[in-house]
Amino acid sequence: MSDKNNVWSKLDRKATAIAEFTMRQYRTRISTWVVLSVGLGSMLLVTLFYADAMNTQIEAIDNDQDSYDWDGDGYPTGQEIIYGTDPYNQASYPIGIEPDPPEKWINEDDFNWDNASFASISKVGYDDDGDCLREGQLVSDSQKDSNGDSIPCNIVLLYSNYSNTLVISSDGNVDEDPDDEKYGKEALHRAFILGVGKMGIVYLLGIFLPLFLATGLIRDEMANGTMHFMIAKPIARGEILAYRMLGYLGIVWPFLIGLCLLMALVTGFLGPSESVFRLSDLGMWFTICIAAMLVTLVYGAIFSTFGILWKQGVVLAIILAAWELGMAFVSVLAGGDSAIQKFSVIGWGLMVVDAGAAVVWPDMAMFIEMGNWGGGNNNCNWESYERGGCGSLIGNEPLSFFNSAHGLGVSNWIAAIIASLVLLTQAVAAWFIGQSLFKGKEMDD
Amino acid sequence: MMPDMSQVGEAETQEWVPNASAPVVMFDNVSKQYGRINALTGVSVALSGGVTGVLGMNGAGKSTLFKLMMGKIKPSGGVVKLFGEDPWKNTAPYARVGFVPEHEKMHDWMTALDFIATFARLHGLTRDEAEKEATRVLNFVGLSDVMLKQIGRFSKGMRQRVKIAHALVNDPDLIILDEPLQGCDPLARTSIMNVIRELGRMGRTVLVSSHILHEIERITEQIIILHNGRLLALGNSYAIREMLDQHPHKISLMCDNPKKLAKDVIDIDEVKGLTIASENNLIIETQHFGLVHAKLPGIIVEKSHNVWEIDSPDDDLQSILQYLTGG
Repeated sequence: MSDKNNVWSKLDRKATAIAEFTMRQYRTRISTWVVLSVGLGSMLLVTLFYADAMNTQIEAIDNDQDSYDWDGDGYPTGQEIIYGTDPYNQASYPIGIEPDPPEKWINEDDFNWDNASFASISKVGYDDDGDCLREGQLVSDSQKDSNGDSIPCNIVLLYSNYSNTLVISSDGNVDEDPDDEKYGKEALHRAFILGVGKMGIVYLLGIFLPLFLATGLIRDEMANGTMHFMIAKPIARGEILAYRMLGYLGIVWPFLIGLCLLMALVTGFLGPSESVFRLSDLGMWFTICIAAMLVTLVYGAIFSTFGILWKQGVVLAIILAAWELGMAFVSVLAGGDSAIQKFSVIGWGLMVVDAGAAVVWPDMAMFIEMGNWGGGNNNCNWESYERGGCGSLIGNEPLSFFNSAHGLGVSNWIAAIIASLVLLTQAVAAWFIGQSLFKGKEMDD
Repeated sequence: MMPDMSQVGEAETQEWVPNASAPVVMFDNVSKQYGRINALTGVSVALSGGVTGVLGMNGAGKSTLFKLMMGKIKPSGGVVKLFGEDPWKNTAPYARVGFVPEHEKMHDWMTALDFIATFARLHGLTRDEAEKEATRVLNFVGLSDVMLKQIGRFSKGMRQRVKIAHALVNDPDLIILDEPLQGCDPLARTSIMNVIRELGRMGRTVLVSSHILHEIERITEQIIILHNGRLLALGNSYAIREMLDQHPHKISLMCDNPKKLAKDVIDIDEVKGLTIASENNLIIETQHFGLVHAKLPGIIVEKSHNVWEIDSPDDDLQSILQYLTGG
């Protein structure tokens, strides 16, 4: 066998020695445990609200208001309509038919949008409750096809590439009373993963863990006077910085992986699913974890460089954190439409999540359009006004708030890779500046 | 013939090869300024082998000299070389250097063995090698029985010895000790001095700084004197002693009956003057410090005096330096 004692293996030994030392040093500090517990605790606290939402029944709204028996003849409006009797006349009701319980006419016409796409034209929708397809003198064939696509009782989706808008043209009374519970739970579930993933884990933990743990990587050793032992060794200062970073990542990354796994388990079991566990979201948590790891790497390199630059480097770190908070909001609100977020770390970090979300939930954009439409104009009643939006279903607003397009104009996979590479480049650049500052630093105390 | 397979394979990056002909430490007209303060002015010195004492008052430039050697600071002028390399630019020579910093702060949460083994790995040793070497050096400084205890629970003298052991773990050719005796009790002083002398006997280049002349004298004959950032004298302690002998030294004794002690001490021929400074303090003036120092213990024991401290007043070196600089 060849001699294992070459320069590379020695380099490896130095790296593991410093990384290991750094990790053990973190473990002896109470502050490390406080920071990690606060991080974990706050995420679990938010998860409690999520668990509560998942276990609360979403009130079924009679979006098309056909469960009510206006004329008091015992038959709900919807039932009278399909039998062609007058819902406002007590004397007119279907004879020889048992009246339906009103609940049967709530959430009775759910979305049938499986074929929906952002192709220029797609045709979706099915009149589950028959109030469009009904026979009789009350409705003519032309009324059944008000969108004029020669197919009665459907919905035409017209997407304009130019204006980037989707026009939803329904024949009326089609998919007009969707299942609020089904949509709401799915939307809230996705909104929670995106919200806590982007703002909680990638931004808040992504910035605060490095703020407390990485700023002192070099600075504390210099201030304590213990750096002398390390720099009196045949090792370049750039290496010291890099290996100290490794030790920092050795604490922060396992924490993030553990946290994401825990969140994946909790949301997997609590989220809406036909099976016991919602496997489909694992990819989302994986993406969030990767984004958070990359972001903590970049901030770690930047903040430890700030610590080298200035004893009060944490001041610079807080200023940067404020800028990043602004950019995080820009990214969440404007998504890929804003260019300014590209001058930040978090903008690229959230882009990784956005690209990941588009891969894991390919139906997301349509799902949001669908909930926003919420059944069409029939849905515009006082209840929907009270919810703050005509037509939009419960859960639609938080979901469309936290969901953004990555906006790189390339495929989702490529976007995720590009954003990750940008983050890696930022980390290397920060390390490079940090190590040259460290090299030029006179250790004089 | 079978080819030697071990020679075929991945190329190894060139390791640093020391320049054998270069002096271990070389300063050529080195200056260091902090703002308008001259910490070091025009120092030129070359050292190879043996133990050298670096003597100077606090602020004379001893630590600055060492910091320049260890590449912690950059010279304002002149050239510093360590094994022929510029230590500010190249850390490779540290493979052959052991450094004992003056700083008291250590990684108190680690055990002595842990601390030394961890930092030994920065020399490229494996975990097992590092632990073996750490055990060896801890044994060398006499701490093998406490090596599994946390450094934070060590006494000052033990901590100093841990630092020395840490500096020896790579079996260095050059050992730099910045004020290793400061704050140590007499027992620790003796054992540290023995360690340093032993290193000298092993043919290593050793640099020890101190602000106490007699401490240095007990360790080595080769002395550098720094004063106000300038190299005042370089030579062996006989030459320096010759200069010093023309200058009176003071020895301060703390005892319960200075008057009675003064009567007994006056019989020593070399004693030139006696002062009773306070009711417990007798100060002896002499031009033959070593001789008086040698005779004192006998007299104290013989006449059963109670003496609890023998010291050279702090202004001793100051007055010598003033004398040397003609002040």
